[in-house]
Amino acid sequence: MQRIFNSLGLLGLAVLLLLAVLGLQNWAAAGFALPDQFFTLSTIFLGIFIEAAPFLLLGTLASGLVEVFLDRDAIQRLMPKNALAGAVAGGLLGFVFPVCECGVIPLTRRFFTKGLAPATGIAFLLASPVINPIVVASTYAAYGWGPILFWRIGLSLFIAVTVGLVFALQSRSAQLLRPTPLIQISGASVDHAHPATAGSLGQRLNRALLIAGDEFFEMGRFLIIGSLVAALLQTVVPQTALLAVGSGPLLSVLVMMALAVLLSICSTVDAFVSLAFVGTFTSGSILSFLVFGPMVDIKAVMLYLQVFRRKTVLYMVWLTFLLTLLATVFINLNLGI
Amino acid sequence: MTEPRYALLKTVMLLGLGTYMLYKTLSGTLYFYINERFTWLVLLGGFVFLLLGLAALRGYLRSTMAHSHAANWSVFIVAIPLLLGFLVPDRPLDSSALDTRGLTTNTGLGGGAWSNVELAMPSDQRSVLDWVRSFNFASDPAIYAGEPADVIGFVYHDERLGVDEFLVGRFAVTCCVADAFAVGVIVQTPEAAEWPSNAWVHVSGEIAVGRLDGKPYPVIVAGSIKEVPVPPQPYLFP
Repeated sequence: MQRIFNSLGLLGLAVLLLLAVLGLQNWAAAGFALPDQFFTLSTIFLGIFIEAAPFLLLGTLASGLVEVFLDRDAIQRLMPKNALAGAVAGGLLGFVFPVCECGVIPLTRRFFTKGLAPATGIAFLLASPVINPIVVASTYAAYGWGPILFWRIGLSLFIAVTVGLVFALQSRSAQLLRPTPLIQISGASVDHAHPATAGSLGQRLNRALLIAGDEFFEMGRFLIIGSLVAALLQTVVPQTALLAVGSGPLLSVLVMMALAVLLSICSTVDAFVSLAFVGTFTSGSILSFLVFGPMVDIKAVMLYLQVFRRKTVLYMVWLTFLLTLLATVFINLNLGI
Repeated sequence: MTEPRYALLKTVMLLGLGTYMLYKTLSGTLYFYINERFTWLVLLGGFVFLLLGLAALRGYLRSTMAHSHAANWSVFIVAIPLLLGFLVPDRPLDSSALDTRGLTTNTGLGGGAWSNVELAMPSDQRSVLDWVRSFNFASDPAIYAGEPADVIGFVYHDERLGVDEFLVGRFAVTCCVADAFAVGVIVQTPEAAEWPSNAWVHVSGEIAVGRLDGKPYPVIVAGSIKEVPVPPQPYLFP
């Protein structure tokens, strides 16, 4: 009973606050003097958040559903034992679970807690933001049936599988993850009397929703900090200066990779954004934007740090960076696409 | 903070985020933040937030919440978008954002498919983006000289321009404002200096071929300039 009163009270408070806020907005609009940059920052931040939050939400929902419907044995049975086959399977798993770079992170962690091999999980994490039907379709829509589409898919898969194989040297997935969150999350399934995949359909769905809500809070704060940093950098760092640097086979690649990290846009639409640079930038640098951006950007790295050990993140980002750089500079120098 | 109180706060925030997303969509100010083609995504996100919030509320009332011990301060970080979203008045990007983003004079956007659309479009319905594109794609932009132009945008005083010129600009947003780029057309008028930066104007006149950074660039020799309110969709969606 106490709880019902509590929640009604808080709900009433929220409504009052909302009314106060609406009044305050009028007052603010009437000439509350904040610097223009503050409004720009707020608008860009909210833009990134509004666009990315639904994707993260769908990822945590997928994670909740996996928790209550997929048991450990199924994953062991379905996934190949061999590291190379596992990494390739992980790289292609995005076609089964079409999530983008925000959603894939809670889902990958969930798979790891269910016993997925490191190579498979890391390959899935890095590849699925590109190797999934939605992103393939949007890249096709932007560039058509041509070299950019093929190279984007090929390079992303290659880099994801390679980095995955490096992590195959680590025999247990648990060693990649940050220790504390793993314990918290397995809290629900550690209870052997009530395993997560038990109960009626309604009970399971309800549990999936509770997990998704909790996980949104856990991951959401890093999405928010990442979006704030990206918005701040965009408000302060002149992109014009960055773009003015960009020519030459090596420099153009570095500039476009920096821009991918800075913009932190979702992989489902980055193909359209990159179109603006076709013509002024080398093809290799456009590819580096399309391959590196989905794997590494400010908000993704913030989310990685929440889930993985710092060392894991460092290796993952560094390897991805080097491989993308080498491949796209090679393309610039040797293949005139 | 005790566990139940923490759970209650999370519940209220999930419901708040859901309300925020649906409210932005219904009030139309969503277009200050993202491209209109992602409206369905925000609606979906709003409903999922509400669903999760209701599940959390039910869990709280029956005290069967999931046992998560994520640090308590996380709740207050999730409050940041709620506070900024509800407290700060919605304001689209304007010419003050142009200082770091710069003006895009080369619009590769849309590629070959676009130029067919452009041919079918009457010249007085073209936006500033369409005009910049027309000049990018035309082998000889002089064919546009003398055509009637009718555009809406905000005033931006660029240091590269003459005393009788300003830019009428718009932001083009492909996905969300994070990828916004500015495009603009030069307006020629004797009263250029009287128009303050950021004022939204409706300019009509005739197209002439000018130059910016050594490249042919569209100029409108202004017949009339009227101040207008900010359009409901301040950005162009390429």
